[in-house]
Amino acid sequence: MNNLQRTSRFFSRRGVLRGCGVTLGLPWLESAVCRTVSASGQESVDSGAVQGSRPPVRAAFIYFPNGVWEKSWIPEGSGRDYVLSLTLQPLADVRDDVLVLTGLDKKHSHGGDGHYAKTANFLTGMPVAKTTGKNVSSGGISVDQLMAQQTSQFTPLPSLELGTEPVISGIDSNVGYTRLYGSHISWQTPTRPVAKEINPQLVYQRLFGNRLSGKSGKSEAYRNLLDFVLEDAGRLRGRLGRDDQFKLDEYLDSVRAVEKRIEFAAKDKPRDWQPSLSAAEVAPPAAGIPADFREHISIMLELMILAFQTDSTRVASMMFANDVSGRNFSFLDGVTGGHHEMSHHEKNESKIAQYEKINRWHVEQFAGMLRKMKAIREGEGTLLDNCMILFGSSISDGNRHDPDNLPILLGGRGGSSLESGRHIASAGNVPLCNLYLSMLDRMGVEVERFGDSTQRLL
Amino acid sequence: MNAIRKHVLLQQGQRRGAVKRVSASVIRCLCLWLVSGLTIAGVCADEHEKKVERWKQDFEQKVLPIIESRCLSCHRGEKSEGEFDLSRFPNGNAAVDAGDAWDRVAKRIRLNEMPPQGSPGLNDEQKGDFQRWVDTRPSQDLCKQLASEETQSWYRGYVMSRRLTQLEYRNAIRDLTGMGLPAGDEPPVDGAGGEGFDTVGDSLFTSTIHLESYLSIADRLIDEALPLEATVPGAGLLKTGKPLPGLEVERWNSVAAEHRGVEAAKVVESFARRAWRRPVLVEETTRLMTLYDRTLARTQSPSVALREPLKAVLVSPHFLFVVETEPGESGVLRLTPHQLATRLSLFLWSSIPDEELLTAADMGLLYDEGQYRSQIRRMLSDPRARALGENFGLQWLGLRNFEGVKPDLQVYPEYTADLARDLADEAVNFVTLVFRENRPLTDLISANYVVVNGRLAQYYGLNLAEDATWQTVSIADGRRGGVTTMASVLTSSSYPRRTSPVLRGRWILDELLGTPVPPPPPNVPALEETSAVADSQTLRQRLEVHRQKPECASCHNRMDPLGFGLENFDGIGRWRESEGSLPIDSAGQLPSGETFSGPEQLKAVLLKRSDEFLQHFARKLLGFALGRELNKFDACVVESGVKRLKENGFQSHVLIEEIALSYPFQYRYYKKSEPVPDPARSRGARFLEALQRLSQKADEVRKKAEAEKASQSQKLENTP
Repeated sequence: MNNLQRTSRFFSRRGVLRGCGVTLGLPWLESAVCRTVSASGQESVDSGAVQGSRPPVRAAFIYFPNGVWEKSWIPEGSGRDYVLSLTLQPLADVRDDVLVLTGLDKKHSHGGDGHYAKTANFLTGMPVAKTTGKNVSSGGISVDQLMAQQTSQFTPLPSLELGTEPVISGIDSNVGYTRLYGSHISWQTPTRPVAKEINPQLVYQRLFGNRLSGKSGKSEAYRNLLDFVLEDAGRLRGRLGRDDQFKLDEYLDSVRAVEKRIEFAAKDKPRDWQPSLSAAEVAPPAAGIPADFREHISIMLELMILAFQTDSTRVASMMFANDVSGRNFSFLDGVTGGHHEMSHHEKNESKIAQYEKINRWHVEQFAGMLRKMKAIREGEGTLLDNCMILFGSSISDGNRHDPDNLPILLGGRGGSSLESGRHIASAGNVPLCNLYLSMLDRMGVEVERFGDSTQRLL
Repeated sequence: MNAIRKHVLLQQGQRRGAVKRVSASVIRCLCLWLVSGLTIAGVCADEHEKKVERWKQDFEQKVLPIIESRCLSCHRGEKSEGEFDLSRFPNGNAAVDAGDAWDRVAKRIRLNEMPPQGSPGLNDEQKGDFQRWVDTRPSQDLCKQLASEETQSWYRGYVMSRRLTQLEYRNAIRDLTGMGLPAGDEPPVDGAGGEGFDTVGDSLFTSTIHLESYLSIADRLIDEALPLEATVPGAGLLKTGKPLPGLEVERWNSVAAEHRGVEAAKVVESFARRAWRRPVLVEETTRLMTLYDRTLARTQSPSVALREPLKAVLVSPHFLFVVETEPGESGVLRLTPHQLATRLSLFLWSSIPDEELLTAADMGLLYDEGQYRSQIRRMLSDPRARALGENFGLQWLGLRNFEGVKPDLQVYPEYTADLARDLADEAVNFVTLVFRENRPLTDLISANYVVVNGRLAQYYGLNLAEDATWQTVSIADGRRGGVTTMASVLTSSSYPRRTSPVLRGRWILDELLGTPVPPPPPNVPALEETSAVADSQTLRQRLEVHRQKPECASCHNRMDPLGFGLENFDGIGRWRESEGSLPIDSAGQLPSGETFSGPEQLKAVLLKRSDEFLQHFARKLLGFALGRELNKFDACVVESGVKRLKENGFQSHVLIEEIALSYPFQYRYYKKSEPVPDPARSRGARFLEALQRLSQKADEVRKKAEAEKASQSQKLENTP
């Protein structure tokens, strides 16, 4: 653990911490976490503050499609002194807050189709069932959903699933997979993908609006309604066929989730710590889905930050785009074409150059997000310090479609528990799930194995 | 069957080929039966019976001894290995019932997987006997059968009580309340399965955001439909809002206060009947009315109270799901009239039944073929049949996500949002027209008309006033007409900055003819796109160089020529004569030797392959209607549908009726329902409940102890 850095940060801010009373008036509500550092370095909560404890760790999993041009992605050297590669240049001013992870692999994705069998299990690490619709399975629960099971008791929303494109329609009769596999990375169970929200305004409504939140004075009416349909569904369930019953269970679980949320909102002081921003302070985004992709991404990432900042949820996943997305990236200088088209560069230099530019644009968005989070003070550190933001793709080189040596970045310090600022070059064939296992630890999820994990990576 | 078709069948493996063979022979048998009258029919049936008898005998003489000596030690009784109990087949009759199960058994024996290593195996003679017996199984009449536990081994049913898709939900709300969904409030769109449609229950999932959406929409729409009269405070009268089935505002307002409850029950009952598309049980209305009573007690306003049960109707699984409950018995049963009505209206309207269809179901008329057909025709001529274009059409054409197709505005600055909408609407309107006006399905390949509005007509270079509404315009030169030359299809099968003969060719093979090509192998050599080459060669010339490589040729010889025939259309589907300074060459030659030049001749070539098209189209439409992937039993419907189409000038209604009247559409395999424990309740919830009970108990014990202690100390204090 990086004790030195943590201490130095404390020293620099000690003056502020001493004057606890002064900070009370600040909008960040730092009064909630007036801590003192004892001689031994142990922290203790100043009980004179409102109701304070350490800010919780939050985790996000951000997926981008179509892989990367590896030669420009993988940095030279490892450990602390690695050299940022061409594609990773945008990380320069946040490199101390990022772990670059290479040599990670998803062994269960080596068979199957080029895309679908690799994306659906990006966060499960298990084999994807080859099917055009029947018995859809990603092999396991996804890491974000497993975390959400643990953290959902503390927040109004168990998790947030974001995207920019609707589910891909149709099946791929060539390769024998339903295309919905390319549209989902979050799986509540192996057989149940979680629908993602692509409309920023609806995300805002879910997070901060009056919709179903209990603030509209309708919570009792909603509760009565939900009780009613829950009973309806319960009665109906027993009269359905076996598989149909499982489908109705999805409905039942969803009703319960909404019920839980309404109840949560009705509680007075649901949290044991005070977020730096209250939901009421957040202004809504413009209606509709932004026509400009850059704006869409930017708003979605902003909403995710706000969700974490207000402690509306502690787990999020986001797909920059669905797999095989052919989105036109000509808005970038020097790029004239679609993402998927360029990823099949066929070793053509011009295409590779454009592919690399698209990759770099993605890293820029990630870096921008980290910078914003770093600027948000939370407790004695920053929001970024208390987060783990994974950013990666489910294949390495888009031309080869290989699920090894995956491009993976991890931003944030997981509540001062990650020694970031390094390039961890694994020897190859190290399961990506080893990283997930380490992240689960930090979210307080006690499991010995996850997916195809063999041991902890961090 | 031409060479390409054969090649594809081989590539797709023998399974489908086998299905075709089996069904073809069944058809032949059936045709003979139908055409040649009773005598031959008798012969046909007799022959079949004889074969079955011989097969039963063979089982008892040759196969049963093998099973008894080699299989039963593991595959016997309830604890059979792999849950496959072979002792269920002690004689020939039972063996016949097992049907396809034997194919699987034979396969595992053939692959030496069974008996497993270490157990006494079958000698070659036994293997031969077994295999011969399986191979001589008399073919079955697939037309009156369904996949079930009896006819297919390891059968796991399909999800039939599925959720409404986003579009079905939207249409159902529209038809019930007369209101559209509030923009931006709709639930997310759905992925697809089966034959490529979102109507497939197995691939429809329900997440929390769906429920939030349903709840929020029900809340908003019912409040909007039942606005309160503000001028008479406390009177709880309604203003005239949107008409809801069963609610007459004047009547409601005039009912005396003490009769409001009875009136409310009536309104709720008739609304629920329409929304749940079946008669509502008294007990169900009573339950719904508890919401009314509770709200009335809280608000003192009958009109506010009336809203709540109506909202519950819209959030109930009876509305949101296609409920096909299981009867007490397992087996293949006909759908109830109300289930059939719902299937039919989802098929034709992507919505719930209207009053007329529902009444017909109430009266039991839908089992009458004539009545049923006349309902179908009525529904096809209804504006709601546009759903066939919007739902089936767009999904079949791969245009469901057309909004996400973004041509590069640098290259195509003319591509506006309005244009994109027109292009998508053309696809919907054209497919709708073919269905509503009972046009030949071959119009979809090639038609001498297009459906355009003024703007699109100008875009296509047709003579029509710019502000003209959607209409049919005839085409003289054959450039347009049919789905392949619609600008929507041409745009979606292009790259953002250029056309792609490869993608367009693949689209024709995949979506029109149903003969997909495999994806390219990894590390394929590059298509030269550097500007130096690009300037001196057209895209076509560069592709031709590419195709000279043998590893590419086998597939690209099938795809590219078809695409070349469409090279006169640019990346957003506009007509062009040249690419840069080079003239367009739209000639193509298929591996079969057929040659053509330009879209008109290309379409003529495709029309020659209308058999493949009809076969594929029938599969698609049936898969859409049934909401599941097709199996061998459904092949019969496809075959007979195509046959009837050919006999009737390819009229679209023929196929619709054939499907709606088919056995798999009207019948269902039910498996006796055995309640599976609700996992959430059984594990998580039950555990929590148990914990809660424990802690409550602990609390009680503690409180009791404290109380005792208190009373004791009280006693002590009181003791002098």
